[in-house]
Amino acid sequence: MSLKPLPLNTSRFEGCTLTGALSVTTSVRNSISVVHGPRGCAHHNFSLLHATSLEHDGIGAPAIQSSGLLEKEIIFGGEAALEQALSHAVSLSPSCIFVLSTCIAETIGDDAGAVCRKDWGVPVIPVPTGGFLGGVFEKGVNNALCTLSDMAEPRSSEGTVNIIGEKNLEFEVEENFKEVSRLLSVLGLFVNTRFVHNISDKDIAQIGRASFNVLRDPGACPVGDHLKVRFGTAYIPSFPAGLAGTIQFLEMAAAAGRVPFRSAVADEIALQEEVLNGFSDLAGSSISPNGLKMTSPVYSIVREVTSALDMGFSDTGCHVPVPLDPPVGTAGIQRMLHRWRRAIHA
Amino acid sequence: MKQIALYGKGGIGKSTTSANLSAALSLQGLDILQIGCDPKRDSTRMLMHGSFIPTVMDLVRERGDAEVFKKDVVYTGFNGVRCVEAGGPEPGVGCAGRGIIATFQLLEKFGALTGDVIVYDVLGDVVCGGFAMPMREGYAQEIYLVTSGELMSLYAANNICKAIRRLSQRSKSTCRLAGVICNAKNMPGEEDLVAEFARRVNSSLVQYIPRDRAVQIAEIHKQTVIEYDPASEQAQRYRTLASRVMENTTFTIPIPLEIDELEALALEYLQI
Repeated sequence: MSLKPLPLNTSRFEGCTLTGALSVTTSVRNSISVVHGPRGCAHHNFSLLHATSLEHDGIGAPAIQSSGLLEKEIIFGGEAALEQALSHAVSLSPSCIFVLSTCIAETIGDDAGAVCRKDWGVPVIPVPTGGFLGGVFEKGVNNALCTLSDMAEPRSSEGTVNIIGEKNLEFEVEENFKEVSRLLSVLGLFVNTRFVHNISDKDIAQIGRASFNVLRDPGACPVGDHLKVRFGTAYIPSFPAGLAGTIQFLEMAAAAGRVPFRSAVADEIALQEEVLNGFSDLAGSSISPNGLKMTSPVYSIVREVTSALDMGFSDTGCHVPVPLDPPVGTAGIQRMLHRWRRAIHA
Repeated sequence: MKQIALYGKGGIGKSTTSANLSAALSLQGLDILQIGCDPKRDSTRMLMHGSFIPTVMDLVRERGDAEVFKKDVVYTGFNGVRCVEAGGPEPGVGCAGRGIIATFQLLEKFGALTGDVIVYDVLGDVVCGGFAMPMREGYAQEIYLVTSGELMSLYAANNICKAIRRLSQRSKSTCRLAGVICNAKNMPGEEDLVAEFARRVNSSLVQYIPRDRAVQIAEIHKQTVIEYDPASEQAQRYRTLASRVMENTTFTIPIPLEIDELEALALEYLQI
């Protein structure tokens, strides 16, 4: 029975499981994602991913195909339609193919896994994404990441870190990655694999050789746990958020990578002071909570930053843009402050 | 045009009852269409003298629905009774319920749903919206429950009462319970039990059909009892059923029983 969260608990974390999974699988270069369901399931996801890609100055369309289930397939089963779609996908010579199920394919009970297990000459990997079974967008992301991780074997390596579950559709995906890479690099650590952001299937095969993993946010903990079981890799549950949170991230990363951290922490604290000094003109101005709930993780960071800059925080303050997710690292706070300054001085 | 549907537990004898009812109605000079809604497609077999006619779904699967025509799916059996079988997918794949919906839409497109009486012989129980299609979409306005005195058979009949009651709440619904047919296992107290069940669900027992070897003998000869042994007592039962169905004007919204009421009822009437 579906254990879908109650409507009151879902807020903006609802969404299509299939979309979540496609945001991962379409980021594997030279792969094809076959959506096993009606054409509409593929079309609206294609449109969304294409539009997001253009927004990010990306080029090219996401490699999505549909098995195009019609009434005939709903009545008699859609496995033959999936085979036909896979034959076509194979003819385009991808490095691998992902098969994503849909609500309708799960309802009629098609065994997509059995079709995928046939010898197609390339890896054909089924990803369970029947959203009505209780999944939301996040569940699709996690299902895809866990499934794709099974393409790798355990290996050992020191000083390398995997970045797990980047939000490929978020506007600042590259900036956030650069900030996390910078923080790791000041500790002498380097990124092994971005799992999964614009990588090849060969890169996926390398995810078993990291010292530890960094998850994009705690929503990816099921993936972190899956990788821990499979490869024995510990994880840090989220990207750095806030001033103190960034320092804490450095300490956690140093502990996980077994490297010294005092010098890097001192340098980062100095950098944070430098950044805050650059916004000293905001001292004394007041911003509005702007609908932010006290329980939101962004709320505590906004309060931390206003306090550090000696700014006010009241309903009568200036409405400033507040990110949906906590800003990542010192650089994220710097970008947020730039936006606040433009609003306050507007 | 009268459109009736027979619902009931799997194996209770809906197809036998439907075929004999259609045969008896046809002998009253009425134009009858019988539609089997079960993937095992044996509803019309006795009317067709033992032959399994091609099903709508088999033809759709082989040719696509654009290449299926009325003459391919409507066959004429005993005394001009027109026979259709919906069919369904292979076991374990796809959705037979959706297949029933598609069949009805195709028959409607053909203009095949005509005659004085259409008899819908519907699969065992109302397991999904697809199998409720004849009553849900107003194809069948009069629902007959076929049951014996066995608890599971009454349970299925009671479930169908729930479906009729639920669907009757729709503003455009014309579907009502027309009565209960007891296709008996010849258990002591069975007729009284089924009659009382019918009364409790706000309906009535339309016909008691005892278990009789005449049915099996007629089936071995690939005929309905009406055709094979018209002088038999069993044939008379089916003819009486046919007359009562045609005369029936009492259609109700059923009041389904709770499971413990049903069990208490069975305990009260069955001599154990």
